[in-house]
Amino acid sequence: MSSRNHDQWNATPDLQQGEWVDSKIYSDEEIFEDELKKIWSKTWIPVCHESELKEAYSFRTMTVAREPVIVVRGKDMVVRAFLNVCPHRGNMIERRPSGNYKRGTPSGTPKTMTCMFHAWSFDMKGKCVNISRKAEGYQDRLNESQVGLRELKCEVYFGGFVWVSLNDDIGITVEEFAAGSLDVLAPSLNEEPLEVFHYHKAIIPCNYKLWHDTNCEFYHDYLHYHNRITGFNEAYFARKNSGFDGGHINVGSFEVQYDNYEGSHSREELSFPHLPPNHWYMIDMFPGVNFNLRGSALRCDLMTPLGPNSVMIEFRGLGLASDSKKDRQTRIDHHNSIWGPFGRNLHEDLLAVTGQGSSMHPMAESRKILHGRHENETIHDENGMRHYYEEWGKLLNRSPSNPDEKFKPYPAFKEQEAQRAAAAGK
Amino acid sequence: MAENKHDLKEQVRELIYNTCIHLDDHQWEHWHDNCADNFNYAIRAFSPEVQADIKYHGGDKEYMQSITSMLSKHNSDQSPLRRHCTVYRVEIAADGKSAAAISSLAVYQTQLDGINSHVDAGTTSVFLVGRYNDKFIIDGDSIKFEDREVRLDTRRLDKGTHWPI
Repeated sequence: MSSRNHDQWNATPDLQQGEWVDSKIYSDEEIFEDELKKIWSKTWIPVCHESELKEAYSFRTMTVAREPVIVVRGKDMVVRAFLNVCPHRGNMIERRPSGNYKRGTPSGTPKTMTCMFHAWSFDMKGKCVNISRKAEGYQDRLNESQVGLRELKCEVYFGGFVWVSLNDDIGITVEEFAAGSLDVLAPSLNEEPLEVFHYHKAIIPCNYKLWHDTNCEFYHDYLHYHNRITGFNEAYFARKNSGFDGGHINVGSFEVQYDNYEGSHSREELSFPHLPPNHWYMIDMFPGVNFNLRGSALRCDLMTPLGPNSVMIEFRGLGLASDSKKDRQTRIDHHNSIWGPFGRNLHEDLLAVTGQGSSMHPMAESRKILHGRHENETIHDENGMRHYYEEWGKLLNRSPSNPDEKFKPYPAFKEQEAQRAAAAGK
Repeated sequence: MAENKHDLKEQVRELIYNTCIHLDDHQWEHWHDNCADNFNYAIRAFSPEVQADIKYHGGDKEYMQSITSMLSKHNSDQSPLRRHCTVYRVEIAADGKSAAAISSLAVYQTQLDGINSHVDAGTTSVFLVGRYNDKFIIDGDSIKFEDREVRLDTRRLDKGTHWPI
């Protein structure tokens, strides 16, 4: 058989459970809503880096599972997170992406978050400190203590990233949530303070999981000339792709041959602490976070799913806060050469997932998407995606390969192979 | 000198506009030829998200030459970019050996293969807006770019591009 007719095209692949998914998981509105409710609203999500909140009274705004969120640093220097919603009439309190409340706003006094609509004000701990014309309007029926902001779970963890959860009952710390997946980079990121030197965002017409998949699988090296020419040796193909509880993975390192790419040079001089020269580790955390350390620069992708076929990706680059001006510039150039909006690899990755989004748009016929490569859990093995979708299936109680059916835990690949061989009478 | 300064301003304008054509048409070598050996290129924007000036791309002449020479090795969005540029101000130094110019810039992208070509090819949208902040070295009849900063207002570049702006 060469090309296939419609029935053949739609037939169940001759692979094991977990080795393919139905493309409906990338396009279905109901599944998307389920994901926001059962995953994105329930877990820890990193939303920014503490270097974006350097001073007391500084703030950043963002969106988690459609909820507007504000993160502020109090005068006690503690970082806290709140819903960015006024308890009075539901207006978004802060419209700016970042700033500092040391200066007053047109409707508010300094050092308060003030809703411009009716000038209700809140301190950096979320306590309401002013209801304008309270006595005249509410008499003694309502006071400030009853209308504080909704505080969210918040931790600063792993090199200074700020993590937020909408789930008051999450019951685990970020460290517990990470389940060891961050350990490989913790010494490099926790040795000294980091600082964001790059930020840009993209809104891409594809499902958020397609971006996460791309970060989880390296088989797409064929998309990237840079990866092929600076990698593709024995050490590269031996890089381990390891799964951790909770759907997280990390990808082991090797020494990148930067000199093999014209115009590119070794990054040895500016290696992150404890990182061997020119090494490259990657961590992909469920449900859609990526930490990527290539020698001298750390990249972090944070995703905000906007719809079944739309995702905002925020790209950050980080260096050491102690960098000299010259070193910082070199780090920035290293980062941009691959990962900037004009960089070699990022544009290629985004082109590819845009193409997937075009093919797997809402209402498109379902397709079988293969995640079936096995290479001893090394770099071109697709175990990272399989590991992710096992967790996804459990949390949504949907089978990734047939999302209208309930999830059934499937045996490990080797057991499935043995069962199949037995059934075939081998 | 006044007349000469006027001529020099005209030559600077011409160089900026011709460079737009070179960049639109991927005549990279013409662009590099019009850059001094100590040329520096940068695309920058201020990010209100992180309250910092961000350098998105750039380097010296040698680096930019390597960027363009390697393009054929890479998978790129081939949707054409077209510049609409207006030179707002040209200033010639008192000694007539250097100049600076500020130009307003809009870059349009006409879809070819970036999304679904059957549906989207031929659609034009604004890719970015910003300014060219240019510096020049003048040596007799020769005027060359010494520095180009593409200062972007647009910060959502979505798929981005491999091409210098």
